[in-house]
Amino acid sequence: MIAMNYSFQFGEILANTDLLLRGLKLTILLFAIAFSGALLCGLFISLARASARRVPNLIATTYIEIFRNTPVLVQLIWFYYALPALSGWQPSAFTAAALGLFLNTSAYCAEIWRAGLQSLPAGQWEGGRAIGMSEWQLLRRVAVPQAFSRMLPAFTNRGVELAKMTSIASTITVQELMYEAKMLSTQTFLPLETFTVVAVIYFVLIYPGTLAAYALERRLNSKGA
Amino acid sequence: MQYVWDFRPVWLNFGVLLEGLVNTLKLSGFSIGLGLAIGLVLAIGRLAPSRFVSIPATAIIEFYRNTPPLVHFFWYFYGLPILTGISLTPFAAAAAALSVQSGAFFAEVFRGGIISVDRGQWEAGRAIGMGPAQLMRRIILPQAFRRMIPPLMERSFELVKTTSLAATLTYGELVYKAMVLATQTYRPMEIYSTVAVMFFTVLFIVSLGMRAVEHRLARLSAR
Repeated sequence: MIAMNYSFQFGEILANTDLLLRGLKLTILLFAIAFSGALLCGLFISLARASARRVPNLIATTYIEIFRNTPVLVQLIWFYYALPALSGWQPSAFTAAALGLFLNTSAYCAEIWRAGLQSLPAGQWEGGRAIGMSEWQLLRRVAVPQAFSRMLPAFTNRGVELAKMTSIASTITVQELMYEAKMLSTQTFLPLETFTVVAVIYFVLIYPGTLAAYALERRLNSKGA
Repeated sequence: MQYVWDFRPVWLNFGVLLEGLVNTLKLSGFSIGLGLAIGLVLAIGRLAPSRFVSIPATAIIEFYRNTPPLVHFFWYFYGLPILTGISLTPFAAAAAALSVQSGAFFAEVFRGGIISVDRGQWEAGRAIGMGPAQLMRRIILPQAFRRMIPPLMERSFELVKTTSLAATLTYGELVYKAMVLATQTYRPMEIYSTVAVMFFTVLFIVSLGMRAVEHRLARLSAR
């Protein structure tokens, strides 16, 4: 029988917004730590990957392939439940989730950096070297400033993916938004309302990111870069 | 601290893990098929001239692209039955969530492919008296298809990884089987590492295959 005359009880969920807001804070914190770390770390991994030396190249390539070819859920579970058995170090659920998300996003960011830095004309590197810049100076003053605007849409899309991935931290008991939602749905017996409200919260949080990526892409295309 | 590896629990239960892997692939295959169908419908809906069709289609696409898949898994499994009175098995709920979610992504690939076909092709088809369905099937989709293959493969690859979330609904795919084994044998390190290797092996082979196909397509279009 189809119970289309179901009466929604959103009031009870909205009365518990403080619980959801507490979860939201942790979601944002997870995102901020993992994303800022990954943007920076991705650059170094991409440099290792572009390196002519065999060992750094092999390590970086292996790292990227491992994180891109396994589900993020397996990565988080591995850091939380498996690693302590090996290392004797038990990270908190939050640390394990932040670490897993950071390492995962770093692998994807490295590929964005690589494509961005490769897109620079060779003359830029040669010009910098000709006036005596060191590799590090060259990177900081010539390559990154020019390539960054081209990479911005891709980084924004990665941020959107990461924001969605933070919800998986709930499976290893990090008390972020999704975790609080599960708690709330069992307490109130209102899973339909709870998960609808939470989906809307995520949408409001994430959609501006997607819109920004669209706008950045359009601007880039109109510049003809 | 010296860790003593013991892979015996893994080998003794390897059949269970393989069964999980088969279920992972079953869920993937089913959801990719259904997701492609949903994606095509959504793409045509978004491109429809009538706003009553295009606005809802766009809303569904944007909503599902910008919310975490895990929320949809829970919504379909715990929420939807309350609305419809029909409770779904973990497999059905996971397949429904995955199909609609990746359908939204597939829709954007289809739409991109369809609008990339030159306008003259549409006009010529109409000029010889083809209806919209015929035009789409015989003229537009065959031309757009080649361009759509790489992004469709990419999305399907992401979908296979997302099937792991079905473990949270107790569907017996690879991660769920591993969780059960890990608590039974107290060997999380060996079991989860094995599972990671199993996923890696399957997905890495798939991604090599994808690269080969992309290469072929690039060569074909260069000709």
